[in-house]
Amino acid sequence: MNEISWILIEAGVKALIIIGMMLLVAAASVYVERKVSAFIQLRIGPNRVGPFGLLQPFADVFKLFLKEDIIPAAADRWFHRIAPVISLGVAFAVYAVIPFADYIVIDDKIIQFGIAPDVNIGILFILALTSVGVYGITLAGWSSNNKYSLLGGLRSSAQMISYELSMGLALVSVILITGSLSLTDIVRDQAGWRWNIFIQPLGFIIFLVSSFAETNRAPFDLPEAEPELVGGFNTEYSGMKFGMFFLAEYANMATASALIAMLYLGGWQLPFPPEWLGLQPHTLAMALAQFAFLVIKVAVLIFFFIWVRWSIPRFRYDQLMNLGWKVLLPLAIVNILITAVVLYILK
Amino acid sequence: MVHITIDGITLEATEGKTIIETAFENGIQIPHFCWHPELSISGNCRMCLVEVGFPKKLSDGNLERNSDGDLVINYFPKLQIACATFVSEGMHVRLNSPKVIEAQEAVMEFLLINHPLDCPICDEAGQCKLQEYAFLHSKGESRFIEMKNHKDKRVPWGPNVLFDAERCISCSRCIRFAKEIAKQDVLTFVQRGDHVTIELFEGTKFDNPYSMNVIDICPVGALTSPDFRFKSRVWDMSFNDSICPGCGRGCNIKIGVRNNEILRLEPRTNLFVNKYWMCDWGRLTQYTFVNKNRITEPMIKNNDQLKIVDWKEAIEFTVQRLRQYKPNEIMFIASPKATNEDNFILKKFANEIINTNNIDFLKHIDESFEDDLLRVKSKTPNERGCEIIFKDIQSLKAIELAENIQNGKIKVVYAMEEDFADYPMILESMKNLEFLVVHTYNNNEISLLANVIFPASTYAEAEGTYVNINGRVQHFTPALVTRENFRFMGMKMSRLDKFGADNDRWTYHEQRNCKQSWKILQMLARALSFDWNYRNSSEIFSLIAGEFSEFKSMTYELLDKFDGIIVGKADSPESVKYKYESHYMKPN
Amino acid sequence: MNRRKNSEAERLNFWEKLYIPEIAKGLGLTFSYMFRPKFTRQYPEERFEPTGSYRGRPVLVLEEDGERCVACGLCSRVCPALAIEVQAAETEKEKERYPEKFEINMLRCIFCGFCEEVCPEEAIVMSKDYDLVFETKKDAIYGKDKLLVPIAELQDRLEFLRQYK
Repeated sequence: MNEISWILIEAGVKALIIIGMMLLVAAASVYVERKVSAFIQLRIGPNRVGPFGLLQPFADVFKLFLKEDIIPAAADRWFHRIAPVISLGVAFAVYAVIPFADYIVIDDKIIQFGIAPDVNIGILFILALTSVGVYGITLAGWSSNNKYSLLGGLRSSAQMISYELSMGLALVSVILITGSLSLTDIVRDQAGWRWNIFIQPLGFIIFLVSSFAETNRAPFDLPEAEPELVGGFNTEYSGMKFGMFFLAEYANMATASALIAMLYLGGWQLPFPPEWLGLQPHTLAMALAQFAFLVIKVAVLIFFFIWVRWSIPRFRYDQLMNLGWKVLLPLAIVNILITAVVLYILK
Repeated sequence: MVHITIDGITLEATEGKTIIETAFENGIQIPHFCWHPELSISGNCRMCLVEVGFPKKLSDGNLERNSDGDLVINYFPKLQIACATFVSEGMHVRLNSPKVIEAQEAVMEFLLINHPLDCPICDEAGQCKLQEYAFLHSKGESRFIEMKNHKDKRVPWGPNVLFDAERCISCSRCIRFAKEIAKQDVLTFVQRGDHVTIELFEGTKFDNPYSMNVIDICPVGALTSPDFRFKSRVWDMSFNDSICPGCGRGCNIKIGVRNNEILRLEPRTNLFVNKYWMCDWGRLTQYTFVNKNRITEPMIKNNDQLKIVDWKEAIEFTVQRLRQYKPNEIMFIASPKATNEDNFILKKFANEIINTNNIDFLKHIDESFEDDLLRVKSKTPNERGCEIIFKDIQSLKAIELAENIQNGKIKVVYAMEEDFADYPMILESMKNLEFLVVHTYNNNEISLLANVIFPASTYAEAEGTYVNINGRVQHFTPALVTRENFRFMGMKMSRLDKFGADNDRWTYHEQRNCKQSWKILQMLARALSFDWNYRNSSEIFSLIAGEFSEFKSMTYELLDKFDGIIVGKADSPESVKYKYESHYMKPN
Repeated sequence: MNRRKNSEAERLNFWEKLYIPEIAKGLGLTFSYMFRPKFTRQYPEERFEPTGSYRGRPVLVLEEDGERCVACGLCSRVCPALAIEVQAAETEKEKERYPEKFEINMLRCIFCGFCEEVCPEEAIVMSKDYDLVFETKKDAIYGKDKLLVPIAELQDRLEFLRQYK
């Protein structure tokens, strides 16, 4: 066995673990979403399947599996099939570069928590992939051969492209501070409460809002605006293909949460010196603690995503575009300018 | 001619007529129960009370006028019954004065004292004159708090009439009908006051051939038909105008349909043909063959086994077999049960497509059926029509068909809507035929012998014309839905039938796959590469009108307008000024 | 274009234009709602007990000597959803007429109560029965076997009708 094979096997095993984890997270998010929405609306929410309705997401998925998979007669069958795969695949692929914890050393062997966490173009990779995610939705809308689906798809691509700009520009400030495109470096840079959220509050807000738009979550869920577009881009989808879009939405939400945590909330950094718990760097215990804190941060962010969805009404399309191009984009540019000037002065 | 003024409108009236007749002739309704134009005047219901008066004459012979210049009328202090007061010159009548309205309300209140409140049960509800007037001319409440009288219910007067004495309002229409029209004077009032009821004379039965007409003229639900009782509410049925096919009289009828099933037939006013009546036999028998024992799909016989096929296959099979015979080996049998349109197209088919003159029809005569009111000995509706259409045909006689089959002259018979029930000899000889095509309604003896059976539409599913025994051409339209006229019929069906979709139980009733005979013949003609393309019956009737002087310049519209037209008289058709409808609020 | 400019008072002020404080306010409100008591009723275990005014599925009143219905067909006529089909027949009883067939298609019934309102015999009334389950379209057509309900069970509704109809 040569070294390449070992690397591939290692990456494969990690990928499987991550995908399994992601599915669980998506399922949990669905459950939390339903519970939180119920609580906000003074209801109880799912409570029939399993204790406290915990098995509800599995029942949902089971139902989706059993449903008839309909492809409209006039649809482009190939793209109609491939679109949800693109959507879900992209959502998962982003995790290739996300570090879940610092590396550990066992018997002089370095083990990374993540598939390729310290690849030096991590952020570029993520930006590239999220752009590909647009294809999933646009293709779904176009291939269904339904005017509502198509409008949903078009809106989605316009919206994602618009917000990707401000998202990318907000990131530039972070990169300026860190001086690296690797996520691991960015996280390391935030050790000891030097979280980017405190250094870049404006950037954080811009990035947060753009993330909502990128994930098509309320209040920016225009691609599937029911009152105008029936079901939006997934009007013509049923069965597990619909299920894949559904999962992709939650996977995207988790991805966005993880990214925000990485970039602004210190990633896997503990919010206190690890010595308090007597942890040594690069040990398994340390890594697990880091992972736990990352999970907590992501969970809080996911809750925030859900909370916002059930609090704020949907934007109108022109308002969405105004916000993206006339507010967020200039703000992001100003943010870069200030950051650059301050960095130049400090240097 | 005299002049009378009703509610300010001056009308010309014929001397010797009553106020109510004059009013009706001029389209003015006067409420009434007992009056009927064909019956004698009894004047006992008091519903038609009106105010009658004459202008005041001054001593110099001039009429007195008030300051506005209007005539001053002296109205009689007591109200008069419009049905028994004859018109005279200068008469003034008021129908809506407070006095008249008070009288009408009083009459209604009296009638309703002992009339049971069982409209939900009563078959008359929905077409009841008492109900109509309770809405129009009654206060809507009763001061009577005592117990109502109880009388006999469900008294059989005869085989076809049931009497409910409680509902009777003693108008005596049935008594007068029995005596004057049916000439079976067996009914009479007995008792007095609120105990009055109608009874049969000892040992008699009300069983004349026209007995069921009393059910129609009864203004309330006192007389009901055991044949129809409780089958359907009146408002759930659609009533379609048609012609009774039972005999040559061609009585005008209404077909009561619900769920695509005929529930009853009733007479329709046509003063030239049947006035207001029809016979019990026609009423009770002329719908059962439409509802029951029908052939609903085309069938062909293969190896002595009849099997259901689709129209295309049946037509192709027939065409292929017909081609194997010489034209003079084929005999076409038209039918006096079929419409003029069907017979005409059959003749056209024989003459122009098969190139044979062998076409004739059979009469069906029953001397014992005839009487001097309506029933005639010709038991088919269109004998005269056939006589006209086939008048100049030089053909083998249909009556000699048996011999012609036996001696081998005729090998193929094409029988349209003819069952040969009165001709057992012909039926017997048909076993020797090589090929027999029939259009038939029902499973019968001829359908057992046939090689090809085309399901034909009955009179209730077809549109066409019959010529009655007096030469009156009468038009009728379909009342039932078949698979071919489904869309068209949607416009005239009752509520439940109209909106039926496939998932409605009320459309589960059969939509028969039968066609009018001329359409079947047209399909055959087209299969034989003749470009026939008649779209509807009226197009064929215009061809008939062009070809035969008897039908000259007749159209369906004209026939409908003039209640049918005597053959050859389309230029100067008779017409009636008004048609009396006893139950005028009845749904249609 | 029928557009109208907002007046000065209607326009957003600076803080409102920032959105962020307003959004935070909104989020605070929804968050506080999460801890309020819930209204949900745990249906199969906790059942809703309607009063007499409730319009559940229509039923036929069954008295000791049989149904009240005389098959007059008014309910069928008035039914806006064409859900009712009645076929009358004759009986030897004093009332002469009874429904040989009385069917309500519960998939069509819209619980409007017109049938009850029009009934001259108070023979069809709205019950308290609201949980209707059927597995096929055929099951949804209720015949007399399911429609006839003893009068004792319908006292609340009959009392309500006596008072308010």
